[in-house]
Amino acid sequence: MIDSLCDQTGRKDSAVAGLYCDFLAQQEQFTTNMLGAVLKQLVSRGGIPEYIQEAFQKAKKDFSAPGLRLPDLMVILKKTIASLQRVFICIDALDESAPKHRRELLESLRDIVRVSPNARIFLTGRPHIEDEIVRCFSEAVRIPVSPTQGDVKNYLEMRLDRDTHPSVMNDELRADIMRDIPAKISEM
Amino acid sequence: MSSVFSNANNSFSVNASNVFYQSPDRDAERSLILQWLSPLEPQRRHQYVKIDRLDGVGNWVLETTEFRKWSEEEDGCDEPVLFCYGNPGVGKTYLR
Repeated sequence: MIDSLCDQTGRKDSAVAGLYCDFLAQQEQFTTNMLGAVLKQLVSRGGIPEYIQEAFQKAKKDFSAPGLRLPDLMVILKKTIASLQRVFICIDALDESAPKHRRELLESLRDIVRVSPNARIFLTGRPHIEDEIVRCFSEAVRIPVSPTQGDVKNYLEMRLDRDTHPSVMNDELRADIMRDIPAKISEM
Repeated sequence: MSSVFSNANNSFSVNASNVFYQSPDRDAERSLILQWLSPLEPQRRHQYVKIDRLDGVGNWVLETTEFRKWSEEEDGCDEPVLFCYGNPGVGKTYLR
């Protein structure tokens, strides 16, 4: 997704930022870190805007709060988004984020799209988090994803071609795999 | 949180002035600022996804009217949020 959007926006003054949520990284994937990573990607192509450098210098002098606080980060992030023509924020596997972080993250994203008409949010996740997303974005466009038969066949062919034990494979087994697995998946 | 200041507990101001004012290395400062914004490096994971991805799989999503409207419409699009959902392993991460 990130790459398709990059291709599409490559020529314009647009930017794409992506995040991958991960069960194993829940500890460090809290809202400021996540949105900070979005901001980092938005500014990393060019020079770092002065207002970010100033905020950094200020934080450096503040012993009590050297890290970015969410309200300050939101101000900077919105300002950066406003300076671009279009911004895509892609977040993968939202269901893998810790529930309390997820809520805050979704609310922050809602806050962003309210003031940034040029921002687009792309989310993926398991079906069970749909309610949480709809609570924040009642009109969110929802697309159910499942592999097409063609996708499954392509994937199987790739895996069989890369098989590390080719000696145990034969034409008959291969034909069975190529027939039965796509059929089973389409029944799911 | 491992911040850029984490190694500076008691000599923070000394370190900071050495690093930032006596050796005004712009690249070093730049990477410190980026690290301060967030220690997360999602680009790394993205590289792995890119290598693993099989061409063409899931491309049908990009052809849907929903996706096109969402990605191509200029300001003031009806709904700025697109949610692709599915069970584990269906290929959500690998949509191109």
